Amino acid sequence: MSTSAATAAAPVAVKERPRLSGFMPIIALVALIAALTVADPDFLTQRSLTAVSRTAAPLILLAAGATIVVLCGGIDLSIAALASLSTVFLALWIPNLGGLATLAVIGVATLIGALQGTAHVLLRIPSFIVTLGGMSILSAVALVVSGAGTVRVVDDSTVKWLDLYVAGYVPMSFMVAVLVVALIALLLKVTPLQSWVSATGYAESAARLAGTPVDLVKIGAFAVSGACAGLAAVMLVSRQFSGGPTMADNLLLPAVAAIVVGGTAITGGHGSVWRSLAGALVVTLLRVGLPIVGVPSAYEQILYGAIIVVAVALTLDKSKVSIIK
Amino acid sequence: MNALEVRGLVKHYPGVKALDGVDLVVRPNEVLGLAGENGAGKSTLLKALVGLVSPDQGQIFVRGQAVKLRNVVDAANHGIGMVFQEQSLVPNLTAAENIVLGSEGAGVRRGIYRWNEMRRLAQEQLDKIGSPIDPLARTDTLTFAERQMVEIAKVLRIEQRSQHPPVIILDEPTSVLESKEIETLFAQIRRLREFASVVFVSHRLDEVLDVCDRVTVLRSGQSVGEVATAGAVPRELHRMMIGSTGSDDHYHENAATPVTADQPRLSVRGLSGKSFHDVDLDVAAGEILAIVGVHGSGREDVCRALFGAEPTTAGEIRMDGTKVDLPSTRAACAAGIGYVPAERKIEGMVGSMSVADNMTLAKQKPRLTGPFVAPKKQAALVDSWIKRLSIRTPRRDTAIGRLSGGNQQKVVLARWLIGGDVKLLLLDHPTRGLDIGARSEVYRLMRELASSGVATVLLADSLEEAIGMADRILVMNDGRVAAEVACPSGGKPSPLDLVKEMV
Repeated sequence: MSTSAATAAAPVAVKERPRLSGFMPIIALVALIAALTVADPDFLTQRSLTAVSRTAAPLILLAAGATIVVLCGGIDLSIAALASLSTVFLALWIPNLGGLATLAVIGVATLIGALQGTAHVLLRIPSFIVTLGGMSILSAVALVVSGAGTVRVVDDSTVKWLDLYVAGYVPMSFMVAVLVVALIALLLKVTPLQSWVSATGYAESAARLAGTPVDLVKIGAFAVSGACAGLAAVMLVSRQFSGGPTMADNLLLPAVAAIVVGGTAITGGHGSVWRSLAGALVVTLLRVGLPIVGVPSAYEQILYGAIIVVAVALTLDKSKVSIIK
Repeated sequence: MNALEVRGLVKHYPGVKALDGVDLVVRPNEVLGLAGENGAGKSTLLKALVGLVSPDQGQIFVRGQAVKLRNVVDAANHGIGMVFQEQSLVPNLTAAENIVLGSEGAGVRRGIYRWNEMRRLAQEQLDKIGSPIDPLARTDTLTFAERQMVEIAKVLRIEQRSQHPPVIILDEPTSVLESKEIETLFAQIRRLREFASVVFVSHRLDEVLDVCDRVTVLRSGQSVGEVATAGAVPRELHRMMIGSTGSDDHYHENAATPVTADQPRLSVRGLSGKSFHDVDLDVAAGEILAIVGVHGSGREDVCRALFGAEPTTAGEIRMDGTKVDLPSTRAACAAGIGYVPAERKIEGMVGSMSVADNMTLAKQKPRLTGPFVAPKKQAALVDSWIKRLSIRTPRRDTAIGRLSGGNQQKVVLARWLIGGDVKLLLLDHPTRGLDIGARSEVYRLMRELASSGVATVLLADSLEEAIGMADRILVMNDGRVAAEVACPSGGKPSPLDLVKEMV
């Protein structure tokens, strides 16, 4: 094996090209907008783009939060149930706490996320199981707390700001979602967190043997995921003037679809929150676009299911997982 | 006609030429030994012979006919079977089920197991090797040696698939066996020779010489020679395995510095855990202590326990006289302990991450300003270490997975050095899978670190490596320290001195 000698003789000057797959979500996004514009020339208007971005905002948040968990090699299936529960809490607490209710709800959601992370780490249960159980428990708690009905918000002055428009066009909720994504991305980039998270997701035992705080990183990831679900709940309440025990439940599949369409590896280690932002926009556009091309919205779930399977089939690094369970 | 013949087999892996034109001949009814160091290409060659690896070039002939082996079943149809190093039995099935698994034949009718028939089929195989194992015993109730017999019986099923005498490949079958069990195995191999050809792989040369008729030596993916075992001496084989580069100060003994410390850097008393008991050991600053022992001696676990990666039940660990508690790897890092794991690709590095990220994974502080990564600081730091250790990488942000094994290992080592605060290095097979040049560089690095005062615990890849590198050798046997052998430069013990204590 004379490879080391060979490398020495010919210093490798190969520039690694940025892989095309990095742009896939953007390409998909542009292609989708183009296709929808062809199908319906009225689509590419400021009004419909505003509507799309407003619809996308909570989804972006849910996907971005869960992306961190996926990057660590886990999955968070409880995000939608947690968001639903949070809408109920918010609606119940606004009369007493006023503006503080928003912070309280995000705080509680963060705690619930961290709690699930702790259970995953300490009890050594797969995150899939912990959050599947969490999903069920949180849904039930939401039903109990709300009395199985919608909780109306009479005075929504404290959350109304999220439903306003910046400069008259850009929905405030979308701005907030993008801001959160940017904040998470920046935090990862400028601190050791990025390498900790990728190392944990890609090779947990290597990370542990390098002294990386793997357990804390994972708990932190679930906490961020919870916080994002809480904030998404605030957006939903600001839009619907009420909280409901199943209000966000139908966002779970789209959120997972957004993550995998964005190209974040479901096996962990590789991906980013920006990708999930693009993924969330793709998923929202598809959702909005279906009626435009004449497909009844009842078919939506088929689409999400197909998207998830196809996207994972395309992006899964099969060299990393030898046995697929 | 040769039972099996290999001509000019070539196999590339990214960054490594695992096989570089190997030739091999297996004659009917002979036991052929395959010797070579780790990384010489033995396992790749074997995998090619049973269709697990498809070669890039070259041909395989079975009884004179060129064949293309696509998978294990395909190889079995040609009469080639392998007993794997890691056993491939399903633990919760009976021995009989395991033996006929995948080739049930008459053992299954209309999808239903016929237990009597299966038992008979299995017994037939076990009889071939004269084994008294009950075919209806659950596999996980058998001892390791018994399971190995089951494996051999299972492989012999391939006789049913081809009319010709089979070729049985045994990959490192003795590594976990005790000496008595080894005797039984050798008796089996001699029995197999009556009706089959055997390829026997072991890194223990005495065994190879004992049981084989002929030995082929591999080095760097090439066959470098062939020796008839009658009258051959281990030293000659060994020279062929290592090649000429091995002889002239491979281990940089000239750079070894005498140990001059009165207080040990690391002092362990009565350390016990799941697989080791009452271990005492001392390592002085600047000293290299090698721990040797066979598989199952517990030395790997002791090493991991010293890094907080394996729970301990009793005992105390002192660093420079101060008692330290190591509940986690983080605590060990904070105590100035560094660990280079044996499984570089899985545990040592994060393949998709850059050289820079891998290098700074353990010690973040040198690249941070406050809580933030300072890109310039990081670049300067990483580049200086790339230069210092002459790591061959296109750039510092190249994914570590793209480097060659030796350079990857240097990055993993550098991880502990960049902080400048490492006091104790635990090296678990640091040269595993590296070529000779890269190995030599790792040795040089170890010498440099030792002379700068770092204490080292080395789990060597071979006895020769332990003897060459260490100042002192601890022999472990069955979870306990069996002996301590001084190993100063100029007064090195022989491998035989150590083997005596190991088994």
